[in-house]
Amino acid sequence: MVDVSLVVSSLPKILSGIGLTFQLLLLSAAIGLVIAITLMLMRISGNAWLSWPAQGYIYVFRGTPILVQIFIIYYGFPQLDMIREGPLWPIFRDPFGCAVVALAINTGAYVSEILRGGVLGVDRGVLEAGQALGLSARQRFIYLTTPLATRLALPAYGNEIISLMKATALASTITLADMTGIGRTLVAQTYAPYEIFISLAVVYMILTFIIQKLLGQAERRLAHYAPEDA
Amino acid sequence: MLDVLNGWWDDFFWGAVIILQVFLASLVLTVFFGLAGASAKLSGQRIARAMADGYTVIFRGTPEILVILLLYYGSAVTLTGVAQLFDPDIRFIDIPPFWAGTLAIALIVGSYATETFRGAFLGVKTGSIEAARALGLSEAQVFWRVRLPEMWRLALPAFGNHLLSLVKDTALISIIGLNETMFVAKQAIGTTGQPFTMYLVVGVIYLGFSTVITLSVMALEHYGSRHLRTR
Repeated sequence: MVDVSLVVSSLPKILSGIGLTFQLLLLSAAIGLVIAITLMLMRISGNAWLSWPAQGYIYVFRGTPILVQIFIIYYGFPQLDMIREGPLWPIFRDPFGCAVVALAINTGAYVSEILRGGVLGVDRGVLEAGQALGLSARQRFIYLTTPLATRLALPAYGNEIISLMKATALASTITLADMTGIGRTLVAQTYAPYEIFISLAVVYMILTFIIQKLLGQAERRLAHYAPEDA
Repeated sequence: MLDVLNGWWDDFFWGAVIILQVFLASLVLTVFFGLAGASAKLSGQRIARAMADGYTVIFRGTPEILVILLLYYGSAVTLTGVAQLFDPDIRFIDIPPFWAGTLAIALIVGSYATETFRGAFLGVKTGSIEAARALGLSEAQVFWRVRLPEMWRLALPAFGNHLLSLVKDTALISIIGLNETMFVAKQAIGTTGQPFTMYLVVGVIYLGFSTVITLSVMALEHYGSRHLRTR
């Protein structure tokens, strides 16, 4: 029933989109991390003028579907003169730029909450010990909070990277030929959804598995910062 | 800017009703898949455990949109093929996008709920269960009166996030033609040429759903912890 030759012939075509999937993932993860660190610092600053906008940002972007965010940016922004005449128009004119921006602002909201959880989870005793040793607040943040919070946040961050990798598939809705985009074109040509979509799902599962393994290694490397569970 | 919405309010309203229907139907299925998966993972039977492990690996490792596309187009190909055996004139039969999409997002979120429920069942204090057994409660009574009430309180914070995923994943079902708000916006853009305004309305509707869900989960958490408060 399943046409094996079709799977064999379509796999190389699907895999030719893996580069675009990775580009989307890595770029949006990097920009998202910068957004997340900024938001997290704003939230823990103790200053209401910084903390409230950050909370508002997180509320809006976590409360709406990524697909809606992608469509607002890709289809919606060209309606606005200030975008069309603004300096960022080359980014928003391009579906790749729109997908990266949408994925980055979205993952930024989630990751900032993960980082905040890590920072709040750092044992107070360690910080007090640092204070007793005469470390300044800045030194305590850089040498104590940052490595410990990184270790605490890593498992949740790993899950978010996997979610982001899966979300890159949504780029296929705005004409991008990532793996899912290519798969959808192939299904439209061959009308063989089982063969092609299942092959595609297996590729994503393998990628998920690889990301999990890599993050598991990173966790073990950072384990010496958290001796209690090592 | 808002006057372009004249004539479209009722369409957006009915789109929002569809979101609510998908949410409620998929919620029931998600709880079912989650409880079945968690029971299988916690059971001593190796085959049940292996099936549940396979279920969570597959649905947590595949993009949501792919599961929706596969379920919809896959079932359509199969159904059409079967129907053509009886009547060669039939061109196309599908499962309605509503049900294909509802099943797809429930299967995905159910795989996450499986892990949440499993952890929560493991978090139920053995002391409570032993006390209930010592009082002579049957295993069924222990489950309904001790395990489940203690478990849902532990599962609630994470399950609240699963509820948000369910409502947001509804937007993806518009890709296979569900006439929810994304679909309404697309039609409205065709006549008005105002994509920013229309998709912004969709965003506001989804934000409204997310807000109601978040507040409800907070109220439920408050209710669930009433025995811990001293007054």
